[in-house]
Amino acid sequence: MRIGVFTCWCGENIARHVDCQKVAEAIRNLLGVHCSVDYKYMCSDPGQSMIREQIRNGKLTGLVVAACSPHMHLKTFRKAAEAEGLNPYMVEMANVREHCAWVHHDREAATAKAIDIIRMAVAKVQQNRPLAAIRVPVTKRAMVIGGGVAGIQAALDIADAGFEVVLVERDPSIGGKMAGLSETFPTLDCSQCILTPRMVDVGQHPRIKLHTYSEVEAVNGYVGNFKVTVRKKARYVDITKCNGCGDCWNKCPQKKNLSEFDFGMGKRTAIYVPFPQAVPARPVIDREACTMLLKGKCGICAKKCTRGAINFEDQDQLITEDVGAIVAATGYKLCDIGKDEGRYKGYGEYGFGRYADVIDGLQFERIVSASGPTGGEIKRPSDGKTPKSVVFICCVGSRDDAKGCGYCSKICCMYVAKHTMLYKHKVHDGQAHVFYMDIRAGGKNYEEFVRRAIEQDGAEYHRGRVSRITEHNGQLIVRGVDTLVGEAMTIEADLVVLATAMRPADGVESLAQKLNIGYDEYGFLSESHPKLRPVETNTAGVLVCGACQAPKDIPESVAQASAAAAKVMMLFARDELTREPEVAEVNEQTCAACFSCVRGCPYKAIDEADITDRQGRLIKRTARVNPGLCMGCGTCVAICPSKSVDLAGFTEQQVYAMVESLV
Amino acid sequence: MLNDLRQTARQLLADKKVDVVIGYGQADPAGPAYPVFITRPEDTEQLVFNDRCYNNLTTFLTRKEIRAMGRAAVLVKGCDAKSVVVLAVESQIDRQSVVVIGMACNGVGQPSLAKCRTCDVHMPRHTDMVIGQAADHAIEAKDRYAELAEMMSKSASERLAYWGQELSRCVKCYACRQVCPMCYCERCVADKNQPQVIKTSATTMGNLAWQINRAFHLASRCVGCDECTRACPAGINLRLLNLMLAQATEEQFDYRPGMDKDAQPVLGCFSVKDKECFIK
Repeated sequence: MRIGVFTCWCGENIARHVDCQKVAEAIRNLLGVHCSVDYKYMCSDPGQSMIREQIRNGKLTGLVVAACSPHMHLKTFRKAAEAEGLNPYMVEMANVREHCAWVHHDREAATAKAIDIIRMAVAKVQQNRPLAAIRVPVTKRAMVIGGGVAGIQAALDIADAGFEVVLVERDPSIGGKMAGLSETFPTLDCSQCILTPRMVDVGQHPRIKLHTYSEVEAVNGYVGNFKVTVRKKARYVDITKCNGCGDCWNKCPQKKNLSEFDFGMGKRTAIYVPFPQAVPARPVIDREACTMLLKGKCGICAKKCTRGAINFEDQDQLITEDVGAIVAATGYKLCDIGKDEGRYKGYGEYGFGRYADVIDGLQFERIVSASGPTGGEIKRPSDGKTPKSVVFICCVGSRDDAKGCGYCSKICCMYVAKHTMLYKHKVHDGQAHVFYMDIRAGGKNYEEFVRRAIEQDGAEYHRGRVSRITEHNGQLIVRGVDTLVGEAMTIEADLVVLATAMRPADGVESLAQKLNIGYDEYGFLSESHPKLRPVETNTAGVLVCGACQAPKDIPESVAQASAAAAKVMMLFARDELTREPEVAEVNEQTCAACFSCVRGCPYKAIDEADITDRQGRLIKRTARVNPGLCMGCGTCVAICPSKSVDLAGFTEQQVYAMVESLV
Repeated sequence: MLNDLRQTARQLLADKKVDVVIGYGQADPAGPAYPVFITRPEDTEQLVFNDRCYNNLTTFLTRKEIRAMGRAAVLVKGCDAKSVVVLAVESQIDRQSVVVIGMACNGVGQPSLAKCRTCDVHMPRHTDMVIGQAADHAIEAKDRYAELAEMMSKSASERLAYWGQELSRCVKCYACRQVCPMCYCERCVADKNQPQVIKTSATTMGNLAWQINRAFHLASRCVGCDECTRACPAGINLRLLNLMLAQATEEQFDYRPGMDKDAQPVLGCFSVKDKECFIK
């Protein structure tokens, strides 16, 4: 074997603590090393040219680049090797930057360690075998989970690019939280006016298949080849027959159910369309509220329906969709203010749930919305009076470690400013007070928007927290402190609006487990890299966008949705995918078929398989890795008692050779 | 009890429900019993069961030669019955095609073996039938591992010295492996030579590597039948190694291999209830 070793200075990064020249000299004498050189920037164009020249002239068969982390530049050097006709998997990197130069100060010792690290890489590369990338076919069809603004945007982008999309929405209609908002910051344009055309586009798009009132039951397969089982919940209305005339819900006698769309501020019937612009504009029967389903009495809707669309015998259905990529856009919910909930402590001191006039941000949206229960007139829930004094409290359920939640909910500063403006625009003689911790208005035209709320619409901002809210003769007594003035203050309010924090939507953890993607301590889905791979996840082919990943406003959610859609299109631009060949393989001769690996595999990439003779008789059973699914993590290698699994590119031979080179 | 056993075995063979009954025979009533493989109904008179029936016969269930004989019935004591459960969980036997005859057992050996003194499965569990009666008494977890206390009271270097001393006698005969029902791999890691994981020669370090490797491979799988300890010609108390890991498994995961046939093996499952105090 003819190995070339290239030691990089990384400018000063490595050279400051490692004597690269000395390293190159020491390595030159190792068995199998044909050439050993050092250079200031190996990754630079001249650096790469030098490597390529050495491969060409020295007829190198293996390469060790001693530089930074392989995460950084392994691909760079593999490409350079490939360009010279060397198999890219004959390139190894020795990390002498993060693993050595950056963490040591003693130059002599660091140099000795760098030599050891490189010696190990040389030992390893001698055991390398050329590998070929794995090719897998792609199903050019995407699934988007969640039909809020992020999901809608992602679905439309992918569909407009010419690919089929399956959009799965848990609620009876798409639209998500945005459909219920009144106006949006920082432009105060009507939320429904900008969203509903998109919803209609989704409903009418020839390449979008919509599953509303449906949930993802199970996910199998791998990038390019997912099989997703979707549970279509019983709707009790055949939406192919229904024309949405409204006879059923207008006649339904069960009128006193709290409307989910109005966040409990309004009422709806048992058979209902969540809101007039719903897509699909077809009703659903609430099985918990319908007396026909509960007690077998009523059935008025069925009698009124001229289309025969009502079916009380309807059952949940499981359907399977084949898709090549999945976008999770499951959005958020607001935190449950009143109650302790797992790690989160409640805000009993604010009396949410106890006082009718203490409401959360989304409830206020419904009160000011023209499509809301009050028709857009601001009336407080308890007695319908127009509130003349409204207190808005920021950071409820966020930025408070004592309450179990350290993160900033990000959108609240802006929506509180918006609320004060909307309130002032409707109640001219009213006064809005805001208790805030900091005003976070980073974003295009955001700071200007907040200034407008304060300066033009006269909202009074007090920097400080509210300690307690009590009720006295129908008035809410808000006790807080203005820390800038340095005084405790008490405000008599008619209405209190809590700027409640965003939490990930319910059930996101179980969805993440089905999708095999990570989530953080709060349940927000984890991206693959916080900066460079913001919409990818650690499972290839699964992308995230919108508020399920972190608190986000509408523009950010939409931008991220388009980014996720772009990643899907990149995937679908090719007929087959190439995957890294560094995957596990089972030695089926020695496999004892205990299937520990099957249980241990975090990617469900290992199957139980039978080895049969030509007559189909069972010879033995074995574990078998699906290379399309395997991510090369090596769990199976560690768990296999008989050492019958090996990881290409990281074989036991290679690892042993590395260890033996040290001892 | 003996009549019941012979009658049951005879019937199983006569009805062709099984092809072989794996049981115990004994030539000298004062000597130990040995495994017998009965294939004809008339030979069932050879079967015995008494306090000298040491072997864990489930070891044979995974042997090629025994599999070739056809469907098997196997005699198990309470401890051995646990290994049937683990073998089924690990896909080594098709539980439906093996007839497991449980034998009520009050302990083997004169005096009783260490495992019998802390036994809480005198009546075998998860078997197809149980012959005889024995009283089970619950054993507290701390009593199960009482023997370890003395060992663990020593310092780490003393323990290493102890094992160095003990394992210097190991001759790498692999009797511990051959007799173990859980050592069913077709190619043992000790026989792997590319790369060589464990040195083949019987040096103290190599012996230590082998026994530690074996103990770890048995972690959360060893049912504590103590056959390895009994089989060891050098008289090394291998039981202590297995006991140590059994204790860790029970303390960390509330799991005892072979006790619950529906429990997920701890090394292959994750529960949010798993303690993580070992991460320091």
